[in-house]
Amino acid sequence: MSAQLAATDPHEVAHDAGHDHAGHDHAGHDHAGGGHDHGHHAVVENNFMGLPNIKLAMWAFLGSECMFFGSLIGTYFFYHGKALAGPLPATIFSIGITSISTFLLLMSSLTMALAVDAMKQRKPTVTRNYLLVTALLGATFVGFQVYEFSHFVHLGLKLSTSLFGSTFYVMTGFHGGHVTVGVIWLTMLAFLVHKGKLNPTKLPINVEVAGLYWHFVDIVWIVIFTFVYLLEFIQ
Amino acid sequence: MSAAHHDHADAGGLPHSHKKAYIRLGVILTVVTAVELALPFLKDYPDIWMPVEPMWAPLLVVMSVFKFGAVVGEFMHLRGDRDIYKFLFLSPLAIAVIIFLLLGSLAVALFLPFGEGVAVTAVDVKSGYVRPTKSSGAEPPLAEDKFKAAFAEAKGKNFAPGKTVYDKVCKACHGDMGEGKAALGFNLTDDCYKYGGSFKDLYVTVADGRAGNKMPAQAGALKSEEIRQVVYYIRSLKGTNAPGGQPCVGDKVAD
Repeated sequence: MSAQLAATDPHEVAHDAGHDHAGHDHAGHDHAGGGHDHGHHAVVENNFMGLPNIKLAMWAFLGSECMFFGSLIGTYFFYHGKALAGPLPATIFSIGITSISTFLLLMSSLTMALAVDAMKQRKPTVTRNYLLVTALLGATFVGFQVYEFSHFVHLGLKLSTSLFGSTFYVMTGFHGGHVTVGVIWLTMLAFLVHKGKLNPTKLPINVEVAGLYWHFVDIVWIVIFTFVYLLEFIQ
Repeated sequence: MSAAHHDHADAGGLPHSHKKAYIRLGVILTVVTAVELALPFLKDYPDIWMPVEPMWAPLLVVMSVFKFGAVVGEFMHLRGDRDIYKFLFLSPLAIAVIIFLLLGSLAVALFLPFGEGVAVTAVDVKSGYVRPTKSSGAEPPLAEDKFKAAFAEAKGKNFAPGKTVYDKVCKACHGDMGEGKAALGFNLTDDCYKYGGSFKDLYVTVADGRAGNKMPAQAGALKSEEIRQVVYYIRSLKGTNAPGGQPCVGDKVAD
């Protein structure tokens, strides 16, 4: 995605349009845009096989994220049952509390899908509202995780306590970090939609790409919740 | 369907809404999650023991894969979307799954003893018992009074199933009568429990082992029901004060 950060030459519009638009519209998240406003051209950001770069980039990024989280979860299982000190998973996991936060994250995926849907229907106000609800659900999930972590530390499980502590905190911590980034992204997107700051022709793709990221964060949690939490009580 | 799946609505027609389908899927995912949550409770609830034990873990994995597929396929639209997106996402996903399975099977195959695990080796030889690499049959979601009822039932059978397990697994360290052995296993016939004397505490001690001493986790070697039976047997030894018993360690537990 960093290719979009490349300096753009305003004279090479045909070549640059996609990059520049992507950069501009994405000022809301991690890209500082080129700042050249080609805003009212027809939609021409399709640069590869007639497909939007931004969406291709997001899918490629999510593919790499699969390997990232796959490794973290695999590592957790590689060292599972090897903890020699501190509390063990079966004694400290609280299925009740975790299932609430799991449900909230699942519902946030639904509201995100509805936000994307509303944007495709050109209903920015509805989109904004769904985005805010999604961000709120995500923030609540992060709150639950903060509570869980501090509770576990209180019970004597720290990052350096045991292999369980190390692998658990790194895995769930990275997931929580992703949720946090998503919450910030969605909040800013909602703000920009509200202010009408984004090029209306490209709003749908911007919301859709944010949605892809958000759903991905949800599916990672589906895997973690099943394999790390529930399977612990099933073996 | 496919028209709606291309990213940009033309200036003319808007793609039709999937709102109802999304909400329906949200409900389905909620129901599946609820069933997933119920499984651990069903499994460890002795009163509704099933004639044929379901394959709990695979069941759980199947439901998780379903949820994963539903979110990716429908919420993320990948099912009806262009092949290039499928390629970009699914091929690294396949690599991730392979890494995951390799790590999992390596962990089982290599059986790496860590620290304390090594110290148990001598005991392993004696009892013919191999320290399990995967731990945790877990804290059973059972109320203490359920345990008490089951304890009374086991008493009716003179704790015979539990004694069988004890002789097979526990005797090497805790002695023939539960009197304990120096530097190996605590005395089980006094009133002292280092890790708590409730049924639940005992269950966790047997299932997960106790770090910092030589008590290994038995969850990989014993079924939940076997652990429960041996817990009842061990609990029945309390206060029998077998001759030659090891000194009291931990707190005295009344009752």
